[in-house]
Amino acid sequence: MMMQFERRERPLDPVEKPRDTGGPKKPDTDTSRDKLLKRMRKVDPKQSERYRQRTGE
Amino acid sequence: MRPGHLFGLETEYGLLIHNPKIGIPPEMLVHQIRDYLFEEQKAGLIDLHHRAHDEPPGNGGFLLNGGRFYIDMGHIEYATPECTGLSEVVAFDRAGDMLLNQTLEKMGLSEDASFIKNNVDYETGATFGSHENYLVSRDFPFTEEGLGHLVPFLVTRQIYAGAGRLGANFVPDGFVVLGDPEFPEIPFQISQRADHIVSDFYQWVQFNRSIINTRDEPLADPGRYRRIHLLLGDSNLSEYATALKVGTTAVVLDLIHDGVAPDISLLDPVTALKVISRDPDRRWEIRLENDKPATAISVQRNYLEAAKKYLAGKDQDTDWILQAWEETLNDLETGEMEKLIGRVDWASKLWLLENFMAEEKLKWDDPWLKSLDLEYHNLNPERGLYFGLEEEDKNCRRTTSACIQQAMQMPPIHTRAAGRAMLIRKLMQHSLPYMVNWTSVYIGGESFSMVDPFKTYLKDAKGFFENNEFIS
Repeated sequence: MMMQFERRERPLDPVEKPRDTGGPKKPDTDTSRDKLLKRMRKVDPKQSERYRQRTGE
Repeated sequence: MRPGHLFGLETEYGLLIHNPKIGIPPEMLVHQIRDYLFEEQKAGLIDLHHRAHDEPPGNGGFLLNGGRFYIDMGHIEYATPECTGLSEVVAFDRAGDMLLNQTLEKMGLSEDASFIKNNVDYETGATFGSHENYLVSRDFPFTEEGLGHLVPFLVTRQIYAGAGRLGANFVPDGFVVLGDPEFPEIPFQISQRADHIVSDFYQWVQFNRSIINTRDEPLADPGRYRRIHLLLGDSNLSEYATALKVGTTAVVLDLIHDGVAPDISLLDPVTALKVISRDPDRRWEIRLENDKPATAISVQRNYLEAAKKYLAGKDQDTDWILQAWEETLNDLETGEMEKLIGRVDWASKLWLLENFMAEEKLKWDDPWLKSLDLEYHNLNPERGLYFGLEEEDKNCRRTTSACIQQAMQMPPIHTRAAGRAMLIRKLMQHSLPYMVNWTSVYIGGESFSMVDPFKTYLKDAKGFFENNEFIS
């Protein structure tokens, strides 16, 4: 089954690049703000205490 | 002769355990996740050989997309395959994120744990990396003078490439801290890694982290190429920020190679890195080597103007970089932070935190903010705050979800990652002894060399596999 994928993919770049829309725009913050605040309220206030990582590079 | 652009990103991920009842620490859980990736998901080939003293057999492996997952210093780390385009490197960077998140889902752990794509742990002060790799020709001026042209750019690019963090980590200047030093209060700064960079040039990657890593390990024909390895940057969630960080850096390397980079030197680059990151007023004032004042934006504009003069019209990617760079600097200069949401990670995070603080009447020292900061980097799209922003504003994207899905399974089509991935697919269908590296593949005692990263090696690799005795 794996063989059928071989070299049949379409090129990634630039065919699938999203169309430019004349430069970045400010998001509609009034309507998105409430959704984002709702997502933020679900975050466990103490989860940072459980985030213990080793030093890497 | 200057080669085309070729770059790759490496990310060390954090792992947050939501449910302590699963009874396994993150540094052990990453081993189970790696094993599931290779053994159950068949994402690639696990190493059979010792790659280094800290990479025994089974520690990691190459993927079907030509990239690599492995365990490094307790973190699961992903290296993208070699990429030649900006939207390509963004897609392959996010493919690593999605592969990990998907693995947690398939293991039934997405409620119990999350991968966090950040660079600091607030509880222990640990830091872990986001590394960038840029291929340059061997005649690139890899000297103090040549690389000196890169330093002011790297020190100041954090104004659009920083991921933002709460507080600060005051790394001591010496081995012994005398007395009880008082540190200034830093509610928020724009870079996660700035606190941890302590020198300008150095060849190793831990403890004495530098602005420019000078290790000479090209992972390609050493007679033709050199690899610029950077570890001062933050892991970006915003696709736009990733593309701008990689794109502007590649363009500045072109300017240096061609001998047309601006002649700027900073008085104290390491201090400037921290001063810019921690400036609460975001004026980002620094001093040049001649003691004259400058700002991070003015330094960046010098590089931008040189790039516009010498490189405009070179190709689509370069023109996007020049336009996006200028627009971002303009928006940073006017201070209209809302325009940067989704495009600059630190500005997005700051906007989210300030809105939440106002709504919930919190102060900067409230511990909930640390947890929200982490959640910005959560790679679970149902939880992560960045993904909430992305749902609301598609302008921050530089690739598509379809491309990312494809990049989880398929290699870039213009580099040697294509040949490597093809041999990996073939090896996964045969029971043969193998050894896969960035520059070569050994099968049944026969070796296949891939020292030119710009060649796909597809035809030669197919011939190597099919015409050798090990296949009979």
